[in-house]
Amino acid sequence: MTLAEIPANAADPGVSATEIVLGMQLPETGAASPGYNKVDDAMRAYFDYVNSKGGIGGKKIRLEVKDDGYKAGLTISTASSLINKEKVFAFIGSIGTQTHIAVIKDINRRKIPDVFVNSGFSDFYKPSVYPTSFAALGTYVTEAKILGKYLKEKYPDKKIGVLYQSDDFGRNSLEGFAKAGLTFEAKKTSADFIAGTQGSPGLASQMTQLKANGVEIVIIAAVSSATAVALLTASAIGYKPEKWAVISVGADATTFQTIAGSRGVPAAMSAAMLNGLITASHAPAPGDTSDEYVAAFKKINDDFNKGADKRFDNNVMQGMNIGYMATGALMGTLNTKTVFSAKNNKACQANAKKGTLTRVCFIDYLNTNGSKIESAAFTALQYSTTTHEAFSGFWIGAYDATTVLQPIGGTRVVYTTDSGNGPVTVSNYKRPAIAADALPKN
Amino acid sequence: MRKLIAALGAAALLSTTAIAIAPSANAAAPTCTTDSKGLETCTGKLSNGAGYLIKVPAKYNGTFFYWNHGVRFTYPLAGVVTVPKGVEELTPSNVPEKQMLLSGYGLATYDRVSPGGLRGWDAAAGVEMLKELIDVVKANYTVKKGVVYGSSLAGAILTPFIEKYPTYADAVGIMAGVTPSIGQSVQSLCDAFYILSVFADPTIKGCAAMGVKGAAGFYAAAAEFGKVVALLTAWGGNLGAPGLEYPAALKGSGIPQRSALLLTGLLIGLPAKSAHMDGITTSAVIPEQSINATVAILENFGEAIATGTFGGQAISEITGPGFYDNTKTNWFSLLDPADSGRYNLGLSGDGAIAGMLGVLSLAPRVTGDPAAVAKLKALDKSKFDTTKPVVLLSNEADRLVFSGNQALYQDKARAVYDAKLAIYEAARDNAATSAERAAAAKLKPFFNVASLYAMTPETYTKYTAAGLPDFAAAIAPSGVGHESFTKKQTMAWVKILAHAADTGKVGTPGYLQQYIKRAPGLNSDLDYRPADLKYIW
Repeated sequence: MTLAEIPANAADPGVSATEIVLGMQLPETGAASPGYNKVDDAMRAYFDYVNSKGGIGGKKIRLEVKDDGYKAGLTISTASSLINKEKVFAFIGSIGTQTHIAVIKDINRRKIPDVFVNSGFSDFYKPSVYPTSFAALGTYVTEAKILGKYLKEKYPDKKIGVLYQSDDFGRNSLEGFAKAGLTFEAKKTSADFIAGTQGSPGLASQMTQLKANGVEIVIIAAVSSATAVALLTASAIGYKPEKWAVISVGADATTFQTIAGSRGVPAAMSAAMLNGLITASHAPAPGDTSDEYVAAFKKINDDFNKGADKRFDNNVMQGMNIGYMATGALMGTLNTKTVFSAKNNKACQANAKKGTLTRVCFIDYLNTNGSKIESAAFTALQYSTTTHEAFSGFWIGAYDATTVLQPIGGTRVVYTTDSGNGPVTVSNYKRPAIAADALPKN
Repeated sequence: MRKLIAALGAAALLSTTAIAIAPSANAAAPTCTTDSKGLETCTGKLSNGAGYLIKVPAKYNGTFFYWNHGVRFTYPLAGVVTVPKGVEELTPSNVPEKQMLLSGYGLATYDRVSPGGLRGWDAAAGVEMLKELIDVVKANYTVKKGVVYGSSLAGAILTPFIEKYPTYADAVGIMAGVTPSIGQSVQSLCDAFYILSVFADPTIKGCAAMGVKGAAGFYAAAAEFGKVVALLTAWGGNLGAPGLEYPAALKGSGIPQRSALLLTGLLIGLPAKSAHMDGITTSAVIPEQSINATVAILENFGEAIATGTFGGQAISEITGPGFYDNTKTNWFSLLDPADSGRYNLGLSGDGAIAGMLGVLSLAPRVTGDPAAVAKLKALDKSKFDTTKPVVLLSNEADRLVFSGNQALYQDKARAVYDAKLAIYEAARDNAATSAERAAAAKLKPFFNVASLYAMTPETYTKYTAAGLPDFAAAIAPSGVGHESFTKKQTMAWVKILAHAADTGKVGTPGYLQQYIKRAPGLNSDLDYRPADLKYIW
């Protein structure tokens, strides 16, 4: 039986008259945990806020979280636990490409919604392969295209090189750079490492290679811990490229400073190392207190976040935004005025009238109404029956001396493109305002 | 023999007197003894000379369990295999006969030797021998319900058996079964030989060396096995740390031999968990999860390749030489994207993966004999359309018969069910009269397959003080090994089979869960699915 053949009104696990249970997997512990281990606390804080307002259609949201330590073997068992013991309605916000790839096939086989996945790996978001998986990030290809185009045009006479992890993430990023016309020479301007080895050898040979080849602009397509090691190692060997540019998932300031701090680097020094580092973002910078979403999320974070580290950073922003988008998607699925696909419209509208939440209708809503889901991002979600990629737009910024990401040139310009061969253009998308009660209106 | 007991009077038989009773149409008459507790034991020969054994308790409840053992070898190999001298087991290895007999079940089994003395993968002979055994039992006992069950190779016998002789059993149990066919597994294990010949020892011929009949062929295959054992022994000492020496294109690449070993394991679908290695836990020497998995592959490889060796050689007695062909194999497609991501570090990164698969693709291929290849693919002609309840049991990380066999059985049975369901639904929807509706209702199918899996704990690897894997430590208590289940797990399977024979159905999920709860390690997730086999035909 395919997903499309499941009756839209069939009872599903994880939903009762009073509760919706969602499941999340992420590294709460281990080397990959710094920073990422704040996303769940932020998401839960937003759900607690929603629950304090009565929940969704009278249903409170409960977030069940499992620590996979960024080890795929554990991801498999924690996914099984979320499915069979916690009986989750959907997976939400799972973090990690190498970990999620171990379970995405099985989650889809079971027809469980797998929403707002925190990976930019483009292969995850092909509905023909993974019909229940939806992204929470723009793809690495999209981001690299935009960042690559910017760097190529901004620094036409500079030697640009790349440090990337030789896996799906790194490969996806290189694909995006290539689409932007930015190519590298292996073993000269291109240095790679095997994800997981950045801590021990310390990326010394890679930094030495880039230095020896006169690379002036270094792009990093790697996780945050590798960014930290690369910058620290470069500093140690006296390598001072003119600019560092980092794919966003590896460029969170507090994560960087936490890792640097664990290696004995004082905060002031790590802030200085970040100063001027270029990265991209699909949403406002957490330090941009003038942004209405940031302000609203920050207030909720202050009031509801029970995590050990509630400093408002990219990780908290991402967790809040996923909570916000998920709330909108659930509200929309239960909204009696929602128009679903022709195939499921009658049954899903009947369900909405009864307050019945089903997986089929939830996925149908994401496919047919995904672009209407409100979000802090500066471009709309791209969800449809042909793609489950999230955001197509990024703006380019650089960290200032206080580790706040500022738009380059002072004005934020959002560029948009796709994961294919489409051009990079300036976005004219107008983000919906956030409501006074900070609840989506889907 | 209960019929006979009733006729002659129990008192006269409560001794160990041997008597001879009427043989079946084909088998020799059994010789029986009865001990002081009323346990009757009968032995005899099937028409081809193979031995059989029957035991019936005093409180026989009318249900017979017919056990089908796994593969046995025709020729001895010192320290590796021995040739059986007759019936070796009456029940699954970890289920005491006594427990089955106390439950009131009659037990029967046979030593599977096909014509010519071959004990290998001659499933067709096994089907007829099992029929003969049941004929003997039915000729001498009142059998209300019968369960045919077995392990490993027996899977390739029981499926065609129940389709050919549907009235001979009321339930089918397949434990760690090569089902529907050994062919797919042999293809993967022959791949293992080939890949190792590219990356580690160019003298390995593997399945290409198989095909000579008799002892000469067996020992030629054993020599190939010996080459792999030598490699594994070396890797056992250095954990595959040295760089690749072969092929020339990769010499000096810095890719450690362990990455090629891991790649080989992943390409053939070998479990990345083993008796001691959980694929997760790390130490100073095993710093990352995929290195743990690499050691698991190392630990699993020997027995897997032994299956490839002796299974392949036995198959070649049926197909003739040249049954292995890899001219059309796409090595890139055999590496699951999930594996290349999850084990990226163990595989030494994308560059090494591409390099190894690249040279593998360019290496000279093995061209088989089309006729032999066709015979390999046609080893099993089962339809998977039995309506009798079938209860499957496998270990999550079986290193000999990969658990994907069980998933494949289920898929094939499900496809038959779906087709029947479509016919039923069409008849139901088109029925205009009460008679037509009644006729349609009779077409409604029931999916009569239950699939049980024994799982490993989440983590169980132990390390020595030096950080090395502790292979002297206790192995995982569940989910690893071949035909290796706890007593509680096996008894749960037996009880479910007995109930299925009584009712004609495998039982509801709720019913199955009652037994699963009593057998730690059995997966309560009845929708669990292991990795698919690499070849499906």
